[in-house]
Amino acid sequence: MSNIIKGINIPLNRVEGDLEIHVDIADGVITDAWSCGTMYRGFEEMMTGRGVLDGLVITPRICGICSLSHLTAAIGALDVLTNIILPDNAIRLCNLALMAETIQSDMRQSVLMYMVDFANPAAYSLHPLFEDAFRRYEPLKGSSAIDTIRETKSLVEVIAIIGGQWPHTSFMVPGGVTSIPEIHKILQCRMIINNFRTWYEKRVLGCSIERWNEVITVGKLYEWLEESEKHSESEVGFFLRFAMEAQIDQIGRGTENFISFGSLLLPESTIVKKNAGGRFVASGFAQGTKVELFDQFKISEDISHSWYHQTNDGKALHPFKGSTKPYASGNSGEQYSWAKAPRYDGFPAETGPLAEMVVDESPLFKDMINKHGANAMIRELARIVRPAKLLLIMDIWLDELMENRKAPFYTSIKDIADGEGAGIIEAARGALGHWVSVKNGRISRYQIITPTAWNGSPRDRNNIRGPWEEALIGTPVKNPDNLIEAGHVIRSFDPCMVCSVH
Amino acid sequence: MTTVYWMQSGGCGGDTYSLLSSNILDINDMFKNLGIVLLWHPSFSNISPTEHLNMIDNILNRTLPLDILILEGAIIRGPAGTGMFDTKNGRPKKDLFHSLAMNARYVVAVGTCAAFGGFGVDHSIEATGLQFCKRKREGFLGENFTSLSGMPVINLAGCPCHHDVISGTLMAIASGVNLELDEYQRPIEWYGTMVHQGCTRNEYHEYRIEESDFGEMGCLFFHMGCAGPLVPGPCNKLLWNGQSSKPRAGVPCFGCTDPEFPRATPFFYTPNIEGIPLQLPRGVNRAHYMVYKGMAAEAAPERLKKRTSKV
Ligand code: SF4
Ligand code: SF4
Repeated sequence: MSNIIKGINIPLNRVEGDLEIHVDIADGVITDAWSCGTMYRGFEEMMTGRGVLDGLVITPRICGICSLSHLTAAIGALDVLTNIILPDNAIRLCNLALMAETIQSDMRQSVLMYMVDFANPAAYSLHPLFEDAFRRYEPLKGSSAIDTIRETKSLVEVIAIIGGQWPHTSFMVPGGVTSIPEIHKILQCRMIINNFRTWYEKRVLGCSIERWNEVITVGKLYEWLEESEKHSESEVGFFLRFAMEAQIDQIGRGTENFISFGSLLLPESTIVKKNAGGRFVASGFAQGTKVELFDQFKISEDISHSWYHQTNDGKALHPFKGSTKPYASGNSGEQYSWAKAPRYDGFPAETGPLAEMVVDESPLFKDMINKHGANAMIRELARIVRPAKLLLIMDIWLDELMENRKAPFYTSIKDIADGEGAGIIEAARGALGHWVSVKNGRISRYQIITPTAWNGSPRDRNNIRGPWEEALIGTPVKNPDNLIEAGHVIRSFDPCMVCSVH
Repeated sequence: MTTVYWMQSGGCGGDTYSLLSSNILDINDMFKNLGIVLLWHPSFSNISPTEHLNMIDNILNRTLPLDILILEGAIIRGPAGTGMFDTKNGRPKKDLFHSLAMNARYVVAVGTCAAFGGFGVDHSIEATGLQFCKRKREGFLGENFTSLSGMPVINLAGCPCHHDVISGTLMAIASGVNLELDEYQRPIEWYGTMVHQGCTRNEYHEYRIEESDFGEMGCLFFHMGCAGPLVPGPCNKLLWNGQSSKPRAGVPCFGCTDPEFPRATPFFYTPNIEGIPLQLPRGVNRAHYMVYKGMAAEAAPERLKKRTSKV
């Protein structure tokens, strides 16, 4: 007889907010899963009727770890309405700040929130690398944890130099940015970034970014890992060795639909190359590794399983038409989450660094997916190595900023016309959009779809599971009191529940 | 040894990320120095859910002494007082917080959401702060609440709260120093001066060199909605991330330490009558201020009018 446990409820922390998952388990394997965002904060409701610039102050407060991403999306929506060409320096400063935030988030999530599980004795005391893992990742005490806190703290100084503080500044305004740092401050940014890069290459990669960029196939990844102790002992090397031994590469496949909204506008004059969608980070939608062009009008949000009033007969709506009216029905019935269910062309899709890599046609990650399919290990790997891609470009934009320091950083905007605008970008966790309608100079509708809404989406009206619900199916469970494997799967998506339930 | 239990509710986690930028020492060194044991933090702890539940039981039956209970984020009471907009295992999280608060030596509200309700006080989530709801002393724990030490809730206002204020408060409590509080229970140590104090634009303010559009280099008080002279806080004294502050970077202060944050009127705009702000710097006499500002503008030196300083 098979051993079936139905509907156990697991609270999950280190997910920036509140998440519980309900799972059915049969013979030690997860057979079904429901993802429940358990808090509602009501930001979309709050925005209605407010001044047109108020989104720049209020929406960053949705999320403490990616507040600049929300600011960037909010300003992107207004830029559609003002329809001006932003000064190059404004674009450079916004991009630099946003990249610093993304790298900060990638490193903190990887070390403080993901790898910290490897230091959990209840789960891994028998793992051959446990002692080393404990030395590295013990909460706030492990050597890698301490390094990560120190290095990311210094990196976010770049944002404070550009925008006054982090988190929660509002230095991006319609027409540009509110100031340009003095010369010595720009030079200081360069030093901070150089220092960070030195640490990242030495400790995280164990090699130069250039050497890492030669790793373009699965085969070359194994070669790299065995090539030197520096590689195998680096965070990336250690992560791979620990994860393979713990079989994290065998779990968490997911939908294998990937979405990236694209990000980082290019200044008119720059040596950095455009990607699909005209920005530095490409936009696109992929099934497997087959990428197609992205069209924001194919997005809709389904609320059939979310705790909201079922307007429009429960039919999915584009966010320019969507509404958010909370309705807590408790745990009975169909509805089980405060997150809505975003769909692209009707499909659920995962988003985040791995999706960016696929849509950006990264040879390594495409090869990994083509050979073995997506899994929790490569999803996390994409996050740990993404800074390698960003750090090089930060350098270039800093140089260009220095060369053009006297050029404008702001163009005066007197009025913002009524209308509709969408600000769609890539936050650290993936696709983020703000859809804003302005009427009589006031905000009349504000809809936000966050990365975690994509990844942690509940079912839609066709009963199709969201990406991490799907990724949980088939995950083994060694100890039902401590679902560490399920935790690995979900945390590989870098959940941010405060964002998704805004 | 000082034990700390950190709970999050209706908030964004921003105060936690602020704390990671602590200038005093990195948090790991600081905790070590002060003998602080972080029993639980939702973003960092790696114990299993069962171990966590046991820990809560032990706090509630007082076999595990809890020195400092920190709440980040507002208490969510909606809908209709049930708290079902924020649950843990199907039960309102506010109830769990309440039982912990009854067993803590100190209760600290970190951030404006926890202190005064912040976002969502006037909306369906029925947010409230721990001892205050906006300006009224009628928050979640009630006006007469005191923790086991005899102190009321300590309100570390700000959105987020400045990192060194959080560190400094932990330092004070762990060192047995009692902090003196203002009328909204904010420690006078950090909330005894205005945000305006220490801003690099003070000289512009003094001579009324006003910024009326972004990026102009001037004081942001008269047109751009800067609340620096209206609300208390150390942003321009302690600086953010060891570097700067919003007004220094040309972003108006949004008044985030005020019990009424976020204000109802639009940001980036100063409500005014004939160029004089409706709300004047805290405590000034309107008639005297008008005369003084008129004269100050007349007395402004050329170098300031021409904004040659570029700072
Ligand atoms: S006070 Fe501000 S920073 Fe703190 S939880 Fe609330 S919104 Fe976030
Ligand atoms: S910008 Fe704000 S904080 Fe700075 S001097 Fe003017 S009023 Fe004061």
